[in-house]
Amino acid sequence: MSTVAPPPTDAVDPLEQDDEAVAIARQRASEGRRAERRLGLMLCAPAVVVMLAVAAYPILYALWLSLFRADLRTPDENEFVGLSNYVTVLSSPIWWQAFGITMFITVIGAAAELVLGMLLALVMHRTLIGRGLVRTSALVPYAIVTVVAAFSWRFAWTQGIGWLAGDSAPLTDRWPSIWIIILAEVWKTVPFMALLLMAGLALVPEDLLKAASMDGASAWQRFWRVTVPLIKPSILVALLFRTLDAFRIFDNIFVLTNGANGTSSVSMLAYNNLIKGLSLGIGSTMAVLIFITTAIIAFVFVRLFGAAAPGGSEKR
Amino acid sequence: MSAVTVTPQRRIGWGVVNAVVLLYAFVPVVWIISLSLKGDDTLNDGSYLPMNPTGEAYSQIFGNSDFLRALVNSIGICVIATAVALVLATMAAYAIARLEFPGKRAIVATSLLISMFPQIALVTPLFKIETAIGIFDTWPGLILPYITFALPLGIYTLSAFFREIPWELEKAAQMDGATPYQAFRRVIAPLALPGVFTTAILVFIACWNDFLFAISLTSTNAARTVPAAMSYFTGATTFEKPTAAIAAAAVVITIPIVLFVLFFQRRIVAGLTSGAVKG
Amino acid sequence: MRLRQLTGLGVAAVSVAALAACGSDDGGVPVVNLYGGASDVGFDKIIAACNKEADGRYRIVGNLLPSDADGQREQFVRRLAAHDDSLDLLGMDVTWTAEFAEAGWIREITGEQATAATEDTLDPPIQTAMWDDKLYGIPKHTNVQLLWYRKSLVPDPPTTWDGVIERAKQLKSEGKPYVVAFTGAQYEGYVVGFNTVLSSLGGTLVNDDSTQVTVDDATVQALTILEQLADSGVASASLSNSQEPEVFAQLQNGEAAFAINWPYVLSSMREADPEIAKDLGFARLPEFADGKESRATLGGMNYAISSYSKHPDEAYDAAMCLRSPEHQLQTALEAGNPPVARSVYEDGEFQKAYPMYQVMLDELETAVPRPVTPLYQNISTIVSTTLSPPSGIRPEQTAEKLESSIQDAIDGKGILP
Repeated sequence: MSTVAPPPTDAVDPLEQDDEAVAIARQRASEGRRAERRLGLMLCAPAVVVMLAVAAYPILYALWLSLFRADLRTPDENEFVGLSNYVTVLSSPIWWQAFGITMFITVIGAAAELVLGMLLALVMHRTLIGRGLVRTSALVPYAIVTVVAAFSWRFAWTQGIGWLAGDSAPLTDRWPSIWIIILAEVWKTVPFMALLLMAGLALVPEDLLKAASMDGASAWQRFWRVTVPLIKPSILVALLFRTLDAFRIFDNIFVLTNGANGTSSVSMLAYNNLIKGLSLGIGSTMAVLIFITTAIIAFVFVRLFGAAAPGGSEKR
Repeated sequence: MSAVTVTPQRRIGWGVVNAVVLLYAFVPVVWIISLSLKGDDTLNDGSYLPMNPTGEAYSQIFGNSDFLRALVNSIGICVIATAVALVLATMAAYAIARLEFPGKRAIVATSLLISMFPQIALVTPLFKIETAIGIFDTWPGLILPYITFALPLGIYTLSAFFREIPWELEKAAQMDGATPYQAFRRVIAPLALPGVFTTAILVFIACWNDFLFAISLTSTNAARTVPAAMSYFTGATTFEKPTAAIAAAAVVITIPIVLFVLFFQRRIVAGLTSGAVKG
Repeated sequence: MRLRQLTGLGVAAVSVAALAACGSDDGGVPVVNLYGGASDVGFDKIIAACNKEADGRYRIVGNLLPSDADGQREQFVRRLAAHDDSLDLLGMDVTWTAEFAEAGWIREITGEQATAATEDTLDPPIQTAMWDDKLYGIPKHTNVQLLWYRKSLVPDPPTTWDGVIERAKQLKSEGKPYVVAFTGAQYEGYVVGFNTVLSSLGGTLVNDDSTQVTVDDATVQALTILEQLADSGVASASLSNSQEPEVFAQLQNGEAAFAINWPYVLSSMREADPEIAKDLGFARLPEFADGKESRATLGGMNYAISSYSKHPDEAYDAAMCLRSPEHQLQTALEAGNPPVARSVYEDGEFQKAYPMYQVMLDELETAVPRPVTPLYQNISTIVSTTLSPPSGIRPEQTAEKLESSIQDAIDGKGILP
């Protein structure tokens, strides 16, 4: 909005000469700031309290467990092992293979979702006919329970049973499986992207686009120069949350291949160690490593988007 | 938009584009519906549409009191969780987008960190806490985690959104003699609603589709939601999957979401138009 | 047929729901909370019958568990590790006995109770309920895979695995349905198949007290058999993605001439495709080494009593009622769960529903459990991953990899794939 918004009006007019007035204004401003601080904290408090009450202990507990050799079957035999679980995981080729696959799925998936999500958002935003129908139907894929959607893809691609497979059996080969996993993931989450981006598009003022159009800007230039900068915060949020989720992909792989043919993801490894193997130490270590990776991804995104990030520099 | 005249060519153009969107959305969905209508004899025939459609799966799931109970749980738990999460997230997001106060960045970062931790590692400690304080297998036992893990997305989405609202209008309205409350209700709220409802839809769907907490933090149908209940469906024998019943349940539980979206997408449009007028 | 179950559930749930809230004892009648198998087709009737028979001594409440074994175990483990006293009677997959016993989650069954629980019971299923020479489970039902074939294509079924493959190749060259359907997906069913081949060759994966991996020539031979199946041209193109439903479908849609699958195939095929059901033949699993009888891998379920149950004796009595020969017959007929009681195999009604009863009994007499070890889940995960896909098996190398990763698992080193 910075392009259309009037310049921010300061509480104190810098041209004010009267000392007394300045002093009063300053006092008011500082009272105002104090009230603002109080209000800010009060408004955030409930959310923060709930989040910490529910999530703090489990997260700290998982961090703690990652330093132990711990098995759920033998709770009395936990043994402190320092960082050796991390060494075990990070020196395992199994982990790095899954890490590579997960990264690949994340990058390709998120990129495809961003492009398709933007297209879908533009259609949902701009379409002249049947807008309600398009907006509602486009969200249906996101609404289908992931496990069921994944199962239906698996069924569709099973040779001899499914309508997509014919005589081929793509889910028995590594790369076809990976592409199907990406397809299932993208199909389902494009609406998530589109919905967030559409909410951003709703705030792009029409007059601005019209003005640009009159200045001779092509549709592409209008999109790239006017729309994209304005919806940058929406893009950040959509891309950030999708990437974080994509990196933790589980359901689709679990149903489609169960990790066969080298299609396991890091979350599947964590599941196998934590829930099936009951190895709380190794499993928690994997969870922490996934957490660290996603934190790095988030950090990079927030840096890339700079001031557009929530909590970033306020006045633009 | 209204200023643009709709020529027949544009109409056809949009018709084609819309058709593509509908195909994208419905081709796999129709396959799921088709599975729900197939009987034992045609399940494995590889045909996209059911040859002899049967509504057996639907009459069975609606004859199953566990499924109906799970539907009630799902609706109750998700509506409450969404409402509470939305109120808390709106408050926090407003503060983050509009106010300067210490610890703001810490709050933003913490909420993101919480949403980043793999939930699978949190299930067992959560289970322990919930059994200890007696909310295991109750509605609050699911509502609380759902609120918690919906808040980061809510706070992020809403604060990104609130930052884009031309808040100067609020001041302008106040200068015109409106009270702060009136300025908020008449000017800001209509602008903010599209973002709020978008968030509502996302939070509701996330809650509605959750399987991990639903399966781990419940043990009876006192709080079991539909995605968990579906995993309790059994086939005729251990080695058979009740494919049609699962597909039917998936279709049935998608309907409330469609209604929910239908309801809220009108509000998104409403917010949009009023925003366009004022902006 | 497939869905009749859900209505059954509905009825059961009405009676269950009122008191399901974690085993509260009303009016002094101890409640036995049953988890596992309670949602099998028709099982609500068995529960009701036992409650009537108990006449106020106890009341069984059937609670639901997820339908997949991993989901069931996950619930059990989480709640038992938290010493949850609202589980009394556990319907356990046969592969969990050692793990649950070693963790102290289930009670040993001793004395007269043990005698009664093993009376009239086939010996191999009893072995799945043992750990460390103690009895921890009450065998409830069992299972063994058979060789299924299309009678019109294969009038006289081969008795050796090589014969099966040869016949399939011949059918293929004649342009007829030829596939040998086998559960080769990366999951528990693949481990069952591998264990059958390995045991038939006289091999094992771990030693008796599961302290040492026992990969040897038999392992290499077993791996060679799987590799050859994948490379023979007579496996399904979906081999590495096939679980029981896919193997069933390959028979149903006329692809397969042979299939290795559980006895449920017959009754389910009668529902799905009566024509093919009439053409279905069954035989003992073929010899994997000439002259050595095949040894099937045991499936099935045992009842165990939670160590944290407040009513262990009532839970035991309830279990004995739920698995009485009469009820074993009932659940065999309705839910396709083969009985563990020898006497049921002599029952006329059973023989009518299971015309393959003699083959099943023959296989059961020599059947083997999957490796009996508290680390079974870990070993199973390693085996299914290491052997996937079947076409990727290189017998010598794969055996070495199995040996080192299983030994790592035993020693608590490394990570699970």
